[in-house]
Amino acid sequence: MPKEIKSLSSKIILLIALILISSILIIFSVFEKTNKEAFYSVEIEKANLVLRIIEPLITLNIFLGMEDRIQSTVLQLIENQNILAIKVFKDNKIINEQKSKEYDMNIEDSFIIKKNLYQPNSKNKIGSIILVYSSKNYKELVNGYTNLLLKVLFAFSIFFLLFGLYLKKLLSPLKNIAKSLENYSPDYEINIPYTKQNNEIGLISKALNDMQKSILQYSKQQQNINKYLEDKVSEKTLKLRTQLYTNSLTKLPNRLSLLHDISIFNDTALLIINIDDFKEINDFFGQIAGDNVLIAFANKLENTLSMEEDITLIHLGGDEFALFFMKKPTLKNFVETAKTLIIEIEKMLFFHEENELSIRVTVGGALQTQEALEKADIALKSAKKRRKSFLLYDEKLKVEQQYKNNIEWVKKINLAIQNDKIVPFFQPIFDNKMNTLVSCECLMRLIDEDNNVITPFHFLNIAKKSKLYVKLTKIMIKKSCQYFEHLDCDFSVNLSVEDMLDEEIVNYIKFNMKRYNVSKKIVFEILETEGIESYEEVSLFIEEMKSIGCRIAIDDFGSGYSNFAYLLQLNIDYIKIDGSLIKNLDNDLNAKIVVETIVSFAKKLNVIVIAEYVHNEAIHQKVKELNIDRSQGFHLSEPQEQLTL
Amino acid sequence: MKKIIFLYLTFVNLAFAYNYDEVLLKAQASIFPKIILLDKKLNYKLINGEIVYTIVHDESDYLIALDIRNFINKKFKGQLDKYTYRINLVNISDFSEKTQASSIYVLHVGASIVKVATIAKEKGIISFSYAVDNLKKGLMFSLSIEKSTVLYLEKRNLPSQDVDFVDSLLQIVRFIDSNVLKKTITNRKI
Repeated sequence: MPKEIKSLSSKIILLIALILISSILIIFSVFEKTNKEAFYSVEIEKANLVLRIIEPLITLNIFLGMEDRIQSTVLQLIENQNILAIKVFKDNKIINEQKSKEYDMNIEDSFIIKKNLYQPNSKNKIGSIILVYSSKNYKELVNGYTNLLLKVLFAFSIFFLLFGLYLKKLLSPLKNIAKSLENYSPDYEINIPYTKQNNEIGLISKALNDMQKSILQYSKQQQNINKYLEDKVSEKTLKLRTQLYTNSLTKLPNRLSLLHDISIFNDTALLIINIDDFKEINDFFGQIAGDNVLIAFANKLENTLSMEEDITLIHLGGDEFALFFMKKPTLKNFVETAKTLIIEIEKMLFFHEENELSIRVTVGGALQTQEALEKADIALKSAKKRRKSFLLYDEKLKVEQQYKNNIEWVKKINLAIQNDKIVPFFQPIFDNKMNTLVSCECLMRLIDEDNNVITPFHFLNIAKKSKLYVKLTKIMIKKSCQYFEHLDCDFSVNLSVEDMLDEEIVNYIKFNMKRYNVSKKIVFEILETEGIESYEEVSLFIEEMKSIGCRIAIDDFGSGYSNFAYLLQLNIDYIKIDGSLIKNLDNDLNAKIVVETIVSFAKKLNVIVIAEYVHNEAIHQKVKELNIDRSQGFHLSEPQEQLTL
Repeated sequence: MKKIIFLYLTFVNLAFAYNYDEVLLKAQASIFPKIILLDKKLNYKLINGEIVYTIVHDESDYLIALDIRNFINKKFKGQLDKYTYRINLVNISDFSEKTQASSIYVLHVGASIVKVATIAKEKGIISFSYAVDNLKKGLMFSLSIEKSTVLYLEKRNLPSQDVDFVDSLLQIVRFIDSNVLKKTITNRKI
């Protein structure tokens, strides 16, 4: 690879030289061509001129028959050294021919011009004349001109060579300045040459020098600023780090700090302490009081654990604290520490204004290092559920398995919704006197991938937690309404208080009732307990539904602390006695008394009574004996996918 | 007596007859008719569409004039370029302004040459003279054979509005002035 030309001066010179050489060559070619043509034309014109001069004389002499005069004319002409020969023809016959001495030498380089001769005042051709004209002059002119051009070209070349060298010399200071700048650094000053020169180079050098000084000054300032900023950043980082790993209320290490510690240590244990019913302190004494209790609790715990070097106290947030054991204790020590701690905490007293407060805690512990926080949390939740003050995480708790199950169920429900596998099953309700089918309860079923029919017992609570419940309710309402659109039979649908309070569900119910024209057939079953706990809301829903012709049943009546007065005001149509009362009707006297009371009460209110869980004939007979209007249960009919009326 | 008179007349004629150069006569007979064609205003001089070449002669030169006519007819066969021509032989005594002529060729007519020149000028036609020295009497062209054939033209007669020669003719003629004329006369062949 040839070395690339990087010098600016070389490039300029090369460029100028290229342009000029091209220009000269073009001019040379053009001039040579045009001048050669011009010279040729001149010589031809000269020859023509000679011919034009002699032509009339010769013509007239031929015409007048004075051929003897032609000779003298021709001889005069031949004296011209450029004329090599003349031939005069009269009617294609040579009447005169003259050749010069140079004829033989120069005949090869000559022009031959022929001219016809016409009779004066007429167009009759009377002869012709041929002139052999020497091209010697032409060649001399061309050679002379070519030599001149070559000389000019040579002179130009010399001139540009000198110009190039001069330009290179002029621009060489730029190269030196660039060289001096090669090792430039803003940290120290370098010597830039030519600053004293009083020309453009000098100006550039001075400007660079001034710029260098400014940069140096700016660099120093920048270094100071950077140092200041670095210090500030370090300070802020430290502060943020502290904030990041510290609880702002109690100033104890926080959850993030715990996670960090867990990731560092290999053989650890963890206790999570939760203050029971701390919400009540907040609600009763206020947030500030709650915060003060938390701060005081943190201080007391710190004091209690002050001797324990391997235990870190952590405030996980809110009413939750943790003890992180950096060295795993024995099981016995771990359990003892937890129990001692619980006892110590129960002894603690906190004060707010003039009130003396004491707290209780629930503790969950995990001796496993792996997923310690999650495991201790599971243990804590299990302890709360089982109402124990301390529980150690045990694989047997199967909490994880339960979580997994829940996730699996959510997947199954989603899949069933996508594949339209949530369907209503219909369980007939019979009139006890007429022994005829009078109504059906629509019960939700999930058909899994193996076509197993699954009752909501397995998935309804999970659905409620995972927000899929609304979808399931909508499916049941739509499919039930659609099924009974053309059937002359009442049907009931179960609704939870969440459904009744959800405006979207209520509107959906109204839309489907109208769409399938079933408002006179539908019965909404509401749980007794929910009817009492959310009396106001349920009452409004019932009122609205009854206004459009729907009927209401209270489900599982007798399972709670039934308040007949409240129920009376709800304006219900049916009471469905709780299955736990019905199924023991044949051997439980108390159940029998309760049922009798309910029936008596309902009869007085003109409310129809329905017995659920009629699972054998004995019960069925008892139900009839107790004057219960209708029966429902496996003895009479199991829930069916398709109803047979 | 009759013989005496015949001989007398013959000899008188011979005695008075001019000596003509036959070569010169033939040269002039060959060239002069062609010079007529070099006049750009020839068309104005045609008589009944033809060129009338009038040869004016003395009584004694009739035969010469006749020979000239025969020579011309033999050479040009009645046609000068695109024009037909007619040769009119006129005795000087008969020559007048009424004589038809597109051009005039004059042999020796003595002092009457002035009359011929005057009429030629008045007619605006080209006049040729056998003798070069007649040109000073007012005729236009003459021809002599020297080293080569020389055509003479009388300068004074040239600016005639009725004659307009091709330019080249003026290049080959020799204009007459007194010196030239003397020299010419000295050198001419008689």
